Amino acid sequence: MSNNKKHETKGGLLDDNLQYHVQLKKGDVSDFVIMPGDPGRVEFIAEHFDSATLVADNREYKTMTGKYKGRSVSVTSTGIGCPSTAIAVEELANVGAKTFVRLGTSGAMQEYTRIGEKVIATGAVRFEGTSVQYMPIEFPAVASHDMVSSLINSAKNANLSYHVGIVQSKDSFYGQHNPEGMPIAAELLQKWDAWVKGGVLCSEMEAATLFVVGSYRKVRTGAVLLVAGDQARQESLSKEDYKENMTESINMILESSLEIEEGS
Amino acid sequence: MKSVQKVEQVKHLPLKLGEIARYVIVPGDPNRVPLIAESLENPIHQGQEREFNAYKGTYKGIEVSVVSTGIGCPSTAIAVEELCHIGAEVLIRIGTSGSVDKTAKKGDIFIATAAVRDDGTSKQYIPIEFPAVASHSVVESLIKASEDLNIQTKVGICQSKDSFFGEMEPERMPVAPYLDYKWSAWQKGGVGASEMEAATLFTLSHIKKIQAGAILAIETSDKKIVHDMTKIVLESITKMEKSRNVK
Repeated sequence: MSNNKKHETKGGLLDDNLQYHVQLKKGDVSDFVIMPGDPGRVEFIAEHFDSATLVADNREYKTMTGKYKGRSVSVTSTGIGCPSTAIAVEELANVGAKTFVRLGTSGAMQEYTRIGEKVIATGAVRFEGTSVQYMPIEFPAVASHDMVSSLINSAKNANLSYHVGIVQSKDSFYGQHNPEGMPIAAELLQKWDAWVKGGVLCSEMEAATLFVVGSYRKVRTGAVLLVAGDQARQESLSKEDYKENMTESINMILESSLEIEEGS
Repeated sequence: MKSVQKVEQVKHLPLKLGEIARYVIVPGDPNRVPLIAESLENPIHQGQEREFNAYKGTYKGIEVSVVSTGIGCPSTAIAVEELCHIGAEVLIRIGTSGSVDKTAKKGDIFIATAAVRDDGTSKQYIPIEFPAVASHSVVESLIKASEDLNIQTKVGICQSKDSFFGEMEPERMPVAPYLDYKWSAWQKGGVGASEMEAATLFTLSHIKKIQAGAILAIETSDKKIVHDMTKIVLESITKMEKSRNVK
């Protein structure tokens, strides 16, 4: 395991060992990595491990590695959006990560998706600009079947209220929250309506690229999106509820990691 | 509450309201319908209109229909719409396909988790960014059934195209560079099989709020493989019916 100190001279790009943005090298991360968007959530997630060490902290990428019930696990933040997520997935895959599970928050899109519920994503709407720089738009952003099954099992075992289905990944946060104010309001509103009719469960900002880059890099992917807000009902989770629901989501992912054979 | 009266007779399928099972096997080829129906108990031929051939029977006591879609997404969309209208809830495609990234080879059976939307039909339903994903529970039941039956399968993404000869002989097409470029992307992206109906089947299943899946034979339409795929699908249906009754 690597040191805790900040790297004084940054390696990467020309350096095979140290990855340029995440500042990680082989041995620093587990094969199983939990990926929140927010670097400020990394420590909170690692508190649910049995042990954890800070291994890197650069830009929006903060990584801690440790153990959960004897299994090695890591957590690395992606920052907001697909561009920084693609970098994280590529660089982590370079240093041995094989399973990537995003843990994020999302906004409800269906009448029946309520705040506090967990959405296990089977696929994502590619309403973002990064994944199309990997694969033509016709390619489906789809999570790995076995990861989805493991997440469903742990959600069932913990008796959580959850949904399984498609989520929407967007690039513009304020385009979702204030579509009318945008120059392309008509497109935003029309597409949103189409996603709702297509049964899309919730809206977030990273899953589509995680799934597409994951297919290309031949790694396992999944995502758990906690529904934290509901625009239609003007509801959002209180601070206490948020923490409690996050803990449930974290434990759900950690338990699912035990079903994934280490190193596979 | 005022309810909209459903039309009794649909326009293309040789079927009426109530004449369909909850579970429907949807091959492309109308001639493959009787072959699949052979595995049912008391199969009845309900009729054929155009490329839509319909049988119904039971398997271990569960009602199962077999209805062909014809080749391609346009006729598949018609079949899916009309099947949903008359009461179908779970559609499972049995089909043949080509191999793409060579992880699945001639003679393999391939269970599709999702499809590349290289078709024109699904775009007339929902923008192209929407992923054509199979129902997780159908895929799970197909995998479990194949394990129970000890039949090897591959699981992954398939590509749904509109032009059969664009895949077979891309070099002779006016858009050859475009076809080559896309094909090599699908190979690098890990697409295992190429066929012609799944993208629209999966996309529509989300819009119509039904469940859908697909099982494909790679580069063969050998009767033994069709029989194996039929066994897997029928066993998966017993699993889905069982978990439905638990709920």
